[in-house]
Amino acid sequence: MNQKELKELIEFLIEKDIAEFELERGDVKVRVKRAGEQTVVSAPPHMAFTHHAPAPPPEAVASPAPLTTTQKAAAMADEGLHIVKSPIVGTYYESPSPGSPPFVKVGDSVEAGEALCIIEAMKLMNEIESDVAGEVVKKLAANGQPVEYGQPLFAIRQK
Amino acid sequence: MRVLADHATVVVSGTKLAEEIGISRSAVWRSVEHLRELGVAIAGHPRTGYQLEQVPDLLLAEFIEPHLRGTIFSGTGKLRHSFRTGSTNALAMQAGAAGEPEGAVWLAEEQTAGRGRGGHAWESAKSVGIYCSVLLRPPLSPADALPLSLAAGLATAAAVEEATGLVADLRWPNDLLLGGKKFCGILAEMNAEATRVRYAVIGVGINVNQARFSGELAETATSLRLATGREWSRLELAVALLKFLDGAYRALVERGPGPVVAAFEQRSSYARGKRVRVKDAGLPEYEGVTDGLDARGFLQVKTAAGVRTVLSGGVREI
Repeated sequence: MNQKELKELIEFLIEKDIAEFELERGDVKVRVKRAGEQTVVSAPPHMAFTHHAPAPPPEAVASPAPLTTTQKAAAMADEGLHIVKSPIVGTYYESPSPGSPPFVKVGDSVEAGEALCIIEAMKLMNEIESDVAGEVVKKLAANGQPVEYGQPLFAIRQK
Repeated sequence: MRVLADHATVVVSGTKLAEEIGISRSAVWRSVEHLRELGVAIAGHPRTGYQLEQVPDLLLAEFIEPHLRGTIFSGTGKLRHSFRTGSTNALAMQAGAAGEPEGAVWLAEEQTAGRGRGGHAWESAKSVGIYCSVLLRPPLSPADALPLSLAAGLATAAAVEEATGLVADLRWPNDLLLGGKKFCGILAEMNAEATRVRYAVIGVGINVNQARFSGELAETATSLRLATGREWSRLELAVALLKFLDGAYRALVERGPGPVVAAFEQRSSYARGKRVRVKDAGLPEYEGVTDGLDARGFLQVKTAAGVRTVLSGGVREI
């Protein structure tokens, strides 16, 4: 299976609203699970793609994952909203520590340089700041869930 | 304190102390009282002066700085020591936000709000552990800076080995273990824009001379003293830690993550073939066998449903 076929498969699953899908053929194994608005793809990189050159890097495999969120974000960007994206792969946290209130809520005004969330990877807590001033219109990631590199996190209406 | 240390075990008169420090004799007396409260053994001899009974194993800048020449931590005022603070990481993050240059170091004898990952507390009792945070400004993108977390664990393991001869195991990404129990934890924090790290803080907590741990901690925690039956110099360990952190940081900036990932795979028993349970942040727990690190440094775990990438941590042997 190549990357194009994988993408088509995911689009098909979304179209038919199939929540979970697993495929095993020889040593090729693909598992797609859609959690709410997000699509999580886990395809073991070396197992799944070594037989068809050129093998896409793991990042490329994962890139179709947040398909629906990305499309939504693209639509929002069209409406002139500023999209804050994740600079790393990791786990998204909306608050500074478990149980404490979130950094920001929908409707909050934020300044440039104000902390919006934490992305944790390899036990490194990465504070993500807003690069613009404005109003938080939408939070696009779910607390405690994985996010990909470049995945949209917040839509902000700039002042 | 420094004057007393220069004349260790010699009786120094209050007048001489006052002259050298440039304060009054009564201020000297108050300072001595304060140091005694903080646990420094100072004897008072009527009419002759004060005597430091033993050179204390304190992580004072004056004791550490001379050993750090040539590192990014060398320079007047870069090392800040406190007898008691909330959290050295909190101090370092505040300084990072305020624009402090890289290479500043915070050392504390005691932390009242020592913290670890995900809101866990780090027990930081007085003068038995090393509680140390450093401020860095790596000229890297956030993604390229992530292996700092692995590099910090490797550097700490190297420092422990140099100072004590003990070879610690590393549990991905950077817990240090002796006999399967944890004696060192690292909390790295970073503040970044999309393409550039503004500042990063690496906080290292090492259990050195704790004689016991109470309650649940006794099951999972150890100290260098508990593992070896003797006390160790925190001062020597702190110097080694800062030297190796300097080396590891420069190597990552100059040569990228490749050597760090390779070194981790070689050093850690957790890198390959270890049966583990993974509690990765908000995801459901799963079990599998570790299968090396990917090029970015993320741990791979083979499970019944395929290979999974551990993002944050929470890896335990089963």
